[in-house]
Amino acid sequence: MNESVLMLTLMAGIGLGTPLVFGTVGEILTERSGILNLGVQGMMIFGAVMGFWATFVTGNLWLGVLASLLAGAALSLIHAFNSITLGVSQIVSGLALTIFGTGVAVYIGKAGSDPLIGQPSKAVFEPIFPDALADLPIVGPLIFGHDAVIYLSWVVVAVASYYLFRTRPGLTVRAVGEDPASAEAAGVNVSRVRYVHVMLGGALAGLGGAYFSLALVPSWQDNPIGQAGWISIALVILASWRPWRALWVAYLFGIAGRLNFTFQTLEINVPATLLDMLPFLLAIIAMIALTSGKRARFLGAPAALGIPYSREER
Amino acid sequence: MADPAKTSNPPAVELRKIDKSFYGVLANADVDFSLARSEVHALLGENGAGKSTLCSVIAGLYRPDSGEMLMDGEVVDLKTPKDALAAGIGMVYQHFRLVSNLTVAENLALGNPEVGLRLSQSQLEAEARELGERYDFPVDPTARIWQLSVGQQQRVEILKLLYRDVRILILDEPTAVLTPQEGQALFRAMRTLADEGRSLIFVSHKLHEVKQVSDRVTVLREGRVVGGVDTADAEPRDLARMMVGKDLELPTRAPNESIGEPVLVVKDLVVEDDRGLDAVDGLSITVNAGEVVGIAGVSGNGQRELAQGIVGLMKVTGGSVELSGDDITGKSVLQTIKRGIAYVPQSRLGMGLAPGLDTEDNLALKQYREPPYSRGPMLMQNAFNTRGAELIKEFDVRGVRPGLPIRLLSGGNLQKALIAREVTQDHCVLIARSPTRGLDVGATAVVREQILAERDRGIGVLLISEDLDELLALSDRMLVIYEGKIVGEMPASEATAERLGLLMSGHSEEQTA
Amino acid sequence: MSRRLIVEPRGLAPWWLKLVIPIGSVLAAMVLGAVFLAITGNDWVEVYQKMADAAFGSGRGFAETLVSATPLILTGVCAAIAFKMLVWNIGGEGQLIFGAIVAAGVGIWLSESTPAFIAITAVVAAGALGGAFWASLSAVPRVYLGTNEIITTLMLNFIALNLMQYLVLGSSSPWRDPEATQFPQGRPIIENARIPEFFNRLDWGLFIAIAVAIVAWFVISKTRSGFEYRIVGDSFDTARYAGIKVPKKVLGTFLASGAAAGLAGSILVAGILGKMDPRSLDLGLGFTGIIVAALARLNPIAIIPVAILMGALNNAGPSLQSIGVPAATVQILQGAILIFAVAGEFLILNRIRRPDPTAGEAKVEAEAQAA
Repeated sequence: MNESVLMLTLMAGIGLGTPLVFGTVGEILTERSGILNLGVQGMMIFGAVMGFWATFVTGNLWLGVLASLLAGAALSLIHAFNSITLGVSQIVSGLALTIFGTGVAVYIGKAGSDPLIGQPSKAVFEPIFPDALADLPIVGPLIFGHDAVIYLSWVVVAVASYYLFRTRPGLTVRAVGEDPASAEAAGVNVSRVRYVHVMLGGALAGLGGAYFSLALVPSWQDNPIGQAGWISIALVILASWRPWRALWVAYLFGIAGRLNFTFQTLEINVPATLLDMLPFLLAIIAMIALTSGKRARFLGAPAALGIPYSREER
Repeated sequence: MADPAKTSNPPAVELRKIDKSFYGVLANADVDFSLARSEVHALLGENGAGKSTLCSVIAGLYRPDSGEMLMDGEVVDLKTPKDALAAGIGMVYQHFRLVSNLTVAENLALGNPEVGLRLSQSQLEAEARELGERYDFPVDPTARIWQLSVGQQQRVEILKLLYRDVRILILDEPTAVLTPQEGQALFRAMRTLADEGRSLIFVSHKLHEVKQVSDRVTVLREGRVVGGVDTADAEPRDLARMMVGKDLELPTRAPNESIGEPVLVVKDLVVEDDRGLDAVDGLSITVNAGEVVGIAGVSGNGQRELAQGIVGLMKVTGGSVELSGDDITGKSVLQTIKRGIAYVPQSRLGMGLAPGLDTEDNLALKQYREPPYSRGPMLMQNAFNTRGAELIKEFDVRGVRPGLPIRLLSGGNLQKALIAREVTQDHCVLIARSPTRGLDVGATAVVREQILAERDRGIGVLLISEDLDELLALSDRMLVIYEGKIVGEMPASEATAERLGLLMSGHSEEQTA
Repeated sequence: MSRRLIVEPRGLAPWWLKLVIPIGSVLAAMVLGAVFLAITGNDWVEVYQKMADAAFGSGRGFAETLVSATPLILTGVCAAIAFKMLVWNIGGEGQLIFGAIVAAGVGIWLSESTPAFIAITAVVAAGALGGAFWASLSAVPRVYLGTNEIITTLMLNFIALNLMQYLVLGSSSPWRDPEATQFPQGRPIIENARIPEFFNRLDWGLFIAIAVAIVAWFVISKTRSGFEYRIVGDSFDTARYAGIKVPKKVLGTFLASGAAAGLAGSILVAGILGKMDPRSLDLGLGFTGIIVAALARLNPIAIIPVAILMGALNNAGPSLQSIGVPAATVQILQGAILIFAVAGEFLILNRIRRPDPTAGEAKVEAEAQAA
């Protein structure tokens, strides 16, 4: 039962979807505060390499996680500075960070006398529950068969959702992303809120990247994350900027990523490249359908997304 | 209506000798003001009189340059709106500070330190409902702001303040966005609040409202207090005269003998504003060649929609516009330009001029499609430069340097450039909105000369303004616009401050008879 | 009175500042790069020398630099003309690829005997049209539905990429070379449709690219249509007031932008590649074009030298491997240049000064909200 194609596909899909969960939830937090971060791809790869390196050097997986969080946050700080303090183009800044972050990551991977590239990770995330539990039919693998990071991702989703919709600080973020002037009038420090959330988003992206290099792959290659960063940006829209939806959408795309393999096993012939197009195609359709005109209000983007805000001088 | 016991209590708010300037312009000068407990106090005045500035001082948004403010007899120094809120003063602005996509309950909670870390939606909603009911001001706490009508949104703004238990509420032109029924509901709520012991300041330019709801009226003009009376004792014509000032200078120029045929005929025009309400509501005017028709009115009564509807920038949903006999209703902007309507908008840099382009480019903005500015698809840069230089010299536009974005010119020079371009087009009608607003004496003189020159050339001029001096100096005929309709018309020689003031504040001519 | 520095919008930036900032960005990035190289144990002097040598040191090297620069000029123009109007077309990547797809399709389909002039024109034009079409998928929703073009153009990049890979690697479509049995390849276009080379691998496509940049500059500064474009880019409201149909202008600009990128694709296919080669088309040329446009401050003429600089960097990258330095150094430099350029824009728009201890300057005009 647990070895069926369906189960294997689901499990692999969850695994592949986990970086997307982190990336998407992180970008949701950033965009909810009104900042568009197109640098997610760069932050993910940078987090992946720094996480890998930290674990490689210390043998400790959790130090790797920490390193990836810090790496993502550090890179996103540059974007925050450009977008919030300087108020320059968020689009160009984000793209610049993707190019920069990717370049740095690839470089680090190849640098030094004993480069990381090609090396397997010194430690890998393994499922944490005993086999007895994981062997239960269906429920076993799906609930108990995961490694710590996957469970962490569920916690992150739950916390993010609760935070955004059930706490006052979360309300504040949402207000800042919708209408910073009104939020400022109500006494909120818009800059500070934005800085915090950009860096949270970067940190989570970094962690998502590290999951590739410490669990999924798990060695270092030039680009272990594929297009996961870009896909995360698209998934934010499909998830309507809501963390729980992000979880399901991410898993959906994780499964889609696995489908190539599944179809081959089942001897169904669907071209891999066409399946790869799916997230992007769906994102466009969603974008057009959901954010044009009046619909925008229902499912929509934070109204002030991407617009620099400057406090008026009195 | 006023509590006789108040004479023994210190006023809820008192201002003494308040001065406030911006960039050298005095907005409030030597203002003394006193607000008692349980009092609804109206602030009456025209645009630019200083009402909003005064309110902003009380609400902590601005700090006065000199003078002092007391609350309950003690001197206070409010540095920020947050301080004011903490002291119990809150203001409902003309532009609401509500977050559109959030619910009413969420907006109430925003920025309120008393709401805990956890948001209990149900608790917030219950409290919002209870507050709404107490003042007969029901709002659905689960509704999102964009779903509410403007009147309901205003209620939310007021509820926000009541939620923080403010003792002193300031309402800035609240009825500008309300229907008559909503206005009445607001007044009822205001009375309830006052009877509870709170104090309200109510800014308005509408006399009938002031008469209806306030206990006392203070009239401001040009930043100073010109009078303060108990409402019961106040006569409308006295208030109007106080609002508008001494007898205005009568025009000294000779009336134009050769007024010609109608060039612009507007019939029953209906234009919607951004909110979908009819800002222009069945309006008719006729402008003849060689005549300056002035339209007076407080801003927000449909002037923008009238001008933009005629010119084609806003959609006309009813009525017609004829230019020298041709129907141009609903035609595109390009069409109205080609057929000969020149337009000096109120927003100089936001609309009339392209702020980042240089002066020569801006001077060509209307005529660049024709020779000499362009031949076929090609732009003739020489023409831009020579024609530009001519106009700059003729209209005395100063500060121009090659390549300098026009936004760096001073306001007076911007307007001179705008006028220069508009009057040198091929046209038969000129529509101008507040053309001398904010200009220094020299620039004002130039602009006024140009408008009179237009008249002498046989152009039909429609002058829409809030500045009565400007209107009286230039117009042959005066109209008053109020809530989207023309409510009065008279030859300029018969226009008096009192008559105009009454009409502008909604008091119809019959009532004064 | 606070002692903090005052930041205020600048009136008119001095002309030399507009040059200093981009150049400064490059220098700052190089300094950062040097630090980075040093920390990771490389000799930055050697690295930079090697790069300069590879890019400019020899005739062949310089030719390669120009070869790399050619598509960058076009993707730079693509980004510049869109961004100047605040149309955020970041889909140059996809528009280039789709242009390549269409160009290759035409180039394969034409008969072998088609005269060269017609063949080349057809292929090149097809690329431009392809790019414009791909852009229209974002442009039309933007103009008629108000859909934000940032995400749509971004996503279309990846769709185009996948489409191209599908056509060559994932299926046996007409784009795939039936004679390549070992590894899937793009099918070569007809010989007559190839743009002739004139020096090593450098072909006349370079001049097409330069011509496009010059034409763009010319149209913007010297034609009536360009004047309208400048007005719209400055203020939508003023443009409407002047009678300009803004949606049409936005649409037209967006399509032209896509066409430029598509042209880059077709010049690659008809020029050095001779076929639609997925690996050689998937080089991030669209995104690099954005860097070029930003550094050139959206000026089409300035794009030419900046594209040559970026081409030099791209060209120099692979040569670094021979001295044991990762080619990714180039990306780091490019990314850093863009970060500094975008941050430097702040200095062009704003001025920083110390607060004046005497009473503030009074603005003569009463622009203030006096009540």
